[in-house]
Amino acid sequence: MSSESQKTVSDPSTLSMRKYPIDGYAFKPLIEAALNWLRTNQQSVNALNVFPVPDGDTGTNMVLTMQAAYDEIANLSERNVGKLAHAVAHGALMGARGNSGVILSQLWRGFARALDNQEILDGPGLVNAFHQGRNTAYKGVVRPVEGTILTVAKDVAAAADIALLGSADPYDILEKIVPAADISVQRTPELLSVLREAGVVDAGGKGLYFLLEGMLRYVHGLPLDTALATIQPLASMKLQDTMESIEPGQDYEVVIDFRPDQALDLVHFYEDLEKMGTSIQVGEGDGIYRMHIHVPADKLYDPINYTKALGTVTKAAIENLVAQMEDLERERNSKLKLTPVEPGQIATVAVAPGPGIARVFASLGVTAIVEGGQTMNPSTQEILHSFENLPTDQIFILPNNKNIILAAQAAAQLTVKKVTVIPSCTVPQGMSAMMRCVPDGDPHDIKAEMIDALSDVESGEITIATRTVEIDGVSVQEGQFIALLNGKLVQSRDTLKEATLGFLEKVHVKKFELITLFYGAEISRREVDVIADAIRKIYPEQELEVQDGGQPHYYFILAIE
Amino acid sequence: MSNEHTPLGSIRISPRAIATIAYHAALQSYGVVGLTSKNIVEGLANVLVKDPTHGVDVTYDGQNISIDIYVIIEYGTRIKSVASSVRNTIHYNVEKALGMPVEQVNVHVQGLRISDPD
Repeated sequence: MSSESQKTVSDPSTLSMRKYPIDGYAFKPLIEAALNWLRTNQQSVNALNVFPVPDGDTGTNMVLTMQAAYDEIANLSERNVGKLAHAVAHGALMGARGNSGVILSQLWRGFARALDNQEILDGPGLVNAFHQGRNTAYKGVVRPVEGTILTVAKDVAAAADIALLGSADPYDILEKIVPAADISVQRTPELLSVLREAGVVDAGGKGLYFLLEGMLRYVHGLPLDTALATIQPLASMKLQDTMESIEPGQDYEVVIDFRPDQALDLVHFYEDLEKMGTSIQVGEGDGIYRMHIHVPADKLYDPINYTKALGTVTKAAIENLVAQMEDLERERNSKLKLTPVEPGQIATVAVAPGPGIARVFASLGVTAIVEGGQTMNPSTQEILHSFENLPTDQIFILPNNKNIILAAQAAAQLTVKKVTVIPSCTVPQGMSAMMRCVPDGDPHDIKAEMIDALSDVESGEITIATRTVEIDGVSVQEGQFIALLNGKLVQSRDTLKEATLGFLEKVHVKKFELITLFYGAEISRREVDVIADAIRKIYPEQELEVQDGGQPHYYFILAIE
Repeated sequence: MSNEHTPLGSIRISPRAIATIAYHAALQSYGVVGLTSKNIVEGLANVLVKDPTHGVDVTYDGQNISIDIYVIIEYGTRIKSVASSVRNTIHYNVEKALGMPVEQVNVHVQGLRISDPD
């Protein structure tokens, strides 16, 4: 099926531009057509890159190489086809860009050599030229990697041999080798595992295919400036490509599988689809067609209704692209933005027990984050690693947990840098201290400021008791919710809400202004909202801010200021 | 030479190992038809032993890895393009295999092989 996978929409036999004999004048437009068609499809070749292999933009490199080749003959009126080919080869050599460009220039070099002293290009001459191109290209590498443009060149030469048995007309041969090149391109993943893993065909091979197809399209009188929608095998349809942005009118993505009652008139089919939306792709396999289209919201159901009229719809999927984009955006924003530090400045390292808390620290201007907290204390090594490579000597560490202060102090012993540990026992203390940090300030003064700030905030932690115990006069049953004020157990209750409200009462929250509540990874936002509403009702004077802390074990971490 | 210390022990990667990776990467690059010695003395020594790191120098100064490679390129190719793709290929392959950054890859084109003189 792959042989037909690039069927073009228009009927190829409508118009023929076959000119005989193929001299320099007749060959030149073919080369121009090859270049134009490759340029039109440049992005789709670029898209085939197996990131991050070297030779980044194969499509662009091949276009630039071909452009240099064509520039050499653009103003040349050369009747001798051999001389014309040599000029092309020379241009390709001079302009070769990237790996695929170099190989392409070698193909041209061999091709041209075969046409030495040839006035015109005939069938056997063309076949010979493809052979020479292949030979020269293979000479350029000690260990040829198969499944690349080299393989496609080899298969094209082989197909040209077979085609010559049927007809000595160079155009007939071209008709035969274009589909052969396509099969060869489709086969590249079988030969090269990196392609298979990435689920793509070889970009250089595909580029060579476009060059040959461009010549054939010219002969057929088909346009070369618009990348025509093509039919592809179902398996190779890639619909999950994440988009960077969506244009107006691309609100929804609609994918429909359908079985037409009659053979599909592709030209009309595409025309009709173009009235509905953009990004049209159609795939075919075993009589089932799959179409993919982006439509504006008001035309959401048009593609389904339309295909229903054509045959049986077996499956339809709709996705809201706008919402998807928003999700992407959110995810992108969730990446930590740490503040870079310059030599001589104070770099701050904060230990953060959850992603949300890390984000808050990042927004406060810390230079590095070490993950860790209660029951997951970071090692001295991890703390050391976080600042060892920073370009400054002044390091402040906010352990944000009583149990991590020691590890931080140990890390301070192991480095030549001047490390100051600000003994923050809780996350709110760490944040409070961080707000006083001025990277350009005098380290001695800043240290005093930050330590002073530790007592500006009352820290609360709400968690679950893991055993039955009595501490500080508070008796706790295993499984109860307990509240800690500045690390000290102050209360135990049966529900999270009671424990939270009880805690707020204990700290005399009415004397403060702001409550910041970081909720943990083990509680849903809805549960949080219920409790937050209760707090707002009881303490209307105080401002309550709710943040997703993402910390484990602790349902809530509260900062009272 | 290139090493990593952890509490569990250390990992050492010899320059020879790195050179072997670079050697194979170079030979798979389009346009490279062979590797050669840096100078005559080394060349003589290499006649005697078939070395898989022949034509590759790896230096590690305790922080950075740099690789020098001495290649023969096919005559008629655009040498600049071939050399820069050799450099990229080696850079990519060595970093991928090693998991360590490679500071420099210097490609020295020592000669051309002429298969077809045109």
